Amino acid sequence: MKISLNWIKDYVEVKIPPGSLADKLTMAGLEVENVSLVRGDTIFEVEVTPNRPDCLNMIGIAREISAVLNKELALPRTGKLSKADAICDIKIEDKKGCLRYIGTVVENISIQQAPKELLKRINSLGLRAINNIVDITNFCLLETGQPLHAFDYDKLAGGRIIVRRAKDGEKIVTIDDIERALDPSILVIADAEKPVAIAGIMGGKETEVTASTRNILLESAYFDPIIVRKASRKLGLSSDSSYRFERGVDYPTVENCSNRALSLILKEAGGKIVKSSDIKVTGRNKAAKEIVIEKEKIDSFLGTDTSVTQCKNIFDKLGFDVKVDKQKVFTIVPPSFRGDIVQEVDIIEEVARIIGYDNLPLSMPSIKVSNISESKEIQLRKKIKQILMAQGCSETVTYTMISQKNLNDSKLSDIEKLNIVNPLSQDQEMMRPSLLPSMLSRVQFNLNRGQKDISLFEAGKIYTNKGEKETLAVIMTGVALRDWRKLKQNNVDFIDIKGIVGKVFSGTGIQDSAVSYKISELPFFAGENAQIFLRGKKIGAVGRICQEVLDAWDIKGASVVFAEVDLESFYSGSFSKKKYFPVIEYPIVTRDISLAIKKDILFDEIRNIVFNDNNDIMHNFNLIEEYLGENLPGKEYKGLVCSCKYQSKTGTLKEEEVTKVHERICQSLIDKIGAIRR
Amino acid sequence: MAWDFQTIRNQAQKEADSICDNTSLESFRIKYLGKKGLIPQVYASLSTASKEDKPLLGKNANELKNFISGLIEEKKLSVKDTINQSSKSNIDVTLPGVANDLGHSHLLTQTMDEICGLFEKLGFIVQEGPEIETEFNNFDALNIPSNHPSRDGFDTFYVDQVDPGDKDKKLLLRSQTSPVQIRVMKANKPPLAVVVPGKVYRPDAVDASHSFMFHQIEGLLVDQDIKFSHLKGLLTTFCNRFFGDNIKMRFRPHFFPFTEPSAEIDISWEKGKKDWLEIMGCGMVHPQVFKAVGYPKGKYTGLAFGLGVERIAMLRYGIRDIRLFYENDKRFLEQF
Repeated sequence: MKISLNWIKDYVEVKIPPGSLADKLTMAGLEVENVSLVRGDTIFEVEVTPNRPDCLNMIGIAREISAVLNKELALPRTGKLSKADAICDIKIEDKKGCLRYIGTVVENISIQQAPKELLKRINSLGLRAINNIVDITNFCLLETGQPLHAFDYDKLAGGRIIVRRAKDGEKIVTIDDIERALDPSILVIADAEKPVAIAGIMGGKETEVTASTRNILLESAYFDPIIVRKASRKLGLSSDSSYRFERGVDYPTVENCSNRALSLILKEAGGKIVKSSDIKVTGRNKAAKEIVIEKEKIDSFLGTDTSVTQCKNIFDKLGFDVKVDKQKVFTIVPPSFRGDIVQEVDIIEEVARIIGYDNLPLSMPSIKVSNISESKEIQLRKKIKQILMAQGCSETVTYTMISQKNLNDSKLSDIEKLNIVNPLSQDQEMMRPSLLPSMLSRVQFNLNRGQKDISLFEAGKIYTNKGEKETLAVIMTGVALRDWRKLKQNNVDFIDIKGIVGKVFSGTGIQDSAVSYKISELPFFAGENAQIFLRGKKIGAVGRICQEVLDAWDIKGASVVFAEVDLESFYSGSFSKKKYFPVIEYPIVTRDISLAIKKDILFDEIRNIVFNDNNDIMHNFNLIEEYLGENLPGKEYKGLVCSCKYQSKTGTLKEEEVTKVHERICQSLIDKIGAIRR
Repeated sequence: MAWDFQTIRNQAQKEADSICDNTSLESFRIKYLGKKGLIPQVYASLSTASKEDKPLLGKNANELKNFISGLIEEKKLSVKDTINQSSKSNIDVTLPGVANDLGHSHLLTQTMDEICGLFEKLGFIVQEGPEIETEFNNFDALNIPSNHPSRDGFDTFYVDQVDPGDKDKKLLLRSQTSPVQIRVMKANKPPLAVVVPGKVYRPDAVDASHSFMFHQIEGLLVDQDIKFSHLKGLLTTFCNRFFGDNIKMRFRPHFFPFTEPSAEIDISWEKGKKDWLEIMGCGMVHPQVFKAVGYPKGKYTGLAFGLGVERIAMLRYGIRDIRLFYENDKRFLEQF
């Protein structure tokens, strides 16, 4: 909101430079965002917080300044008004929408230019001159914060005012020449026939005060903040009036401001008050409650050492009705315009604010040990991120909102999802039920920007109507490790990403034997893919993204592998406590084994046979090489070279011991899966 | 048996001179010092020598052993030198090394970890909460009036799911991390000191400084005698540790429904310059909030603070466009 320093000076003495005043106001909670010099005046742009509608006018700001600078506040005087002989025909039909309506008819006014002083004031805040009546209502609005409206009384059908909801189909042309469709959510001022103003927002063109106006009806009212706000949003129309009604005007000021305006009108435009009514909806205007607070309480809360005089002076300047007893207990009744002051802390804040936060002491709290502890999830997530980063994957943070098209493109159309009721756009119509679309979009983004080798991961949430679930996704394309010593650089494939996911398990203390992989049939994967099981429970999937999905995402000429792991299941999986096993110093004996086996035999079957042999010296079993091609018994065969490492816990192994076990294992492989030794 | 020690020495010297690698050095060592080598044989002959010959023979044997050992040590060094020299000529040490690329933690994660870490050092515990929240936790309990504009669809995203606790209401995407305060207080009694990082949502159209999804960190300290001076002390310490000791800062009165008194903290980096940058909001926990979580009236006081992670990271690293965080351009990610 704009304020004029010259205008402020009408009510309070300001002797410090404008810059200092701006600082002081800012530090009292009225943030001055801009200071500018305009035609000999200083204009402040002030941000008024929503709890302080009383500061949306010059007097309110002047009151704050009087407290901050410790100067007296001089309010404008309103001369005595002659009483009207007759009542105005006013009816409040909607008692929720309007709590008070003062209508006054002034006859025989002369429309002309407003006096220069008044024009200077309103011009300085950006309002242009219209005519003396309108300019006076604007002046009073800016001075007191109470919006007023003047109707051309002769154009009000039946000379009536009805405050009611608009009827479906009703329309009004507002003073900005725009026709607006109304509905029953909108409160209007109507005459005997039709709406003549949108209550609290804008008047109608037809009844506005013009050069030919002779008689006026001046409106000063209290309209419900919520109804005004909703109508303003619905119509996309806000005004100086609606801005103030939305935040709440002061009930007594409805009358005071009306009187202020009337006395100015009588002075500047002549005329005579002939009709007047003050219609109040009873039982809605609560009296302010007394607040009792000890000075001691203020000091202990702030860590200050104030004096009774200092506090009392602050309360006085802010317009509080305050009594203090010998025990230094304040009994305070806040003024009607300070609806934000209802309890002790509100009083404490006023003291803190006016003294200035920067003048208050500071100290360190002693933070006690609480019985809350950091969750296992947070710790495990950190560990997982470290593991993935060590594998060369970078972390992404992607939008959690996606579109149905994103899902379709990822072949996830049938997945359960959680829609957003009020999305910003169709691109963000739902919360993502999978991380795949987010990750694919980031791969596409990077590929389009010339990045070829991409390894990304995200530990983020997915959402369904059952709630949110933390999930890990890894996506890779291009070459993971570029080595200039090798002629051919290998593109990442299923085995690479499986290896990386495996590290997440082994790195968090899950034994290899607890994790298993089974071929899956997820639609977005090509042939090479598997579901991941942790202790028999499905926990994720890993594989190569199929061409159809890549095409849909416009990812060209790249092979993309992806893995997704449900972290909630992962976290809840039991983690065996780490325990020390003595390091065995006896030598390890390595025996390689070269086999030809049928291609449909899984490596897991070989492993199982190897580890199911009843011996206590098998230490480790590793795949060294897979061979496809010449020198095999047939096309249906593949060659495998594996290494068996043997070690005894009790002594150095003898050749014969190793040979006995090793040969027995080889024989099992021959017997059980038809392996052929090479 | 009589030994010609001088000849043995000469012979050994000659052999040692021709040693150029570890293999020949090792066979030299075995020949003289090995189990069945010459020196052990000399010592063995001591047992059969006459009483008169023994001292001289013993002395000679010792001297020979020392001489041979000396030759071996000498040769060890020279053999090493040769190896070093030959490797020097074989490799271009300026060739690039080969290793896995290191992955990068997202700048937002790094910033959150750093901020939370600072508070953890002061005794705070990290807590998290759900992003899909109830209107009660996100608004009611935080003393935000039922007709407050921030509850509108213009300011808060609602999801198509009914609140199980209130069938008339839909669940929403939290517009702040503050509902976690409510969850923590409902589940625990003070003393409490927690920091809460997480995603929040507001329906703002995306531009260089707005995003419908962003991150906040919330802090809460509740005990029996927490004062406003503690708020100033704690957050001054934080700002100095995070932004440096040479910043200027101020606590500016502000309004939040869930704290009273409330403040915003502004900092200024450059000396003498009056450019204040707003970096966080804070205040003393409002009594209504304690009431909402069922704490006895007047028993506790507390302080709370909240900051926008993107904003802090943008200020600190000179990032001008908030969208960079979510684009995840590899060339952005790898800078941090």
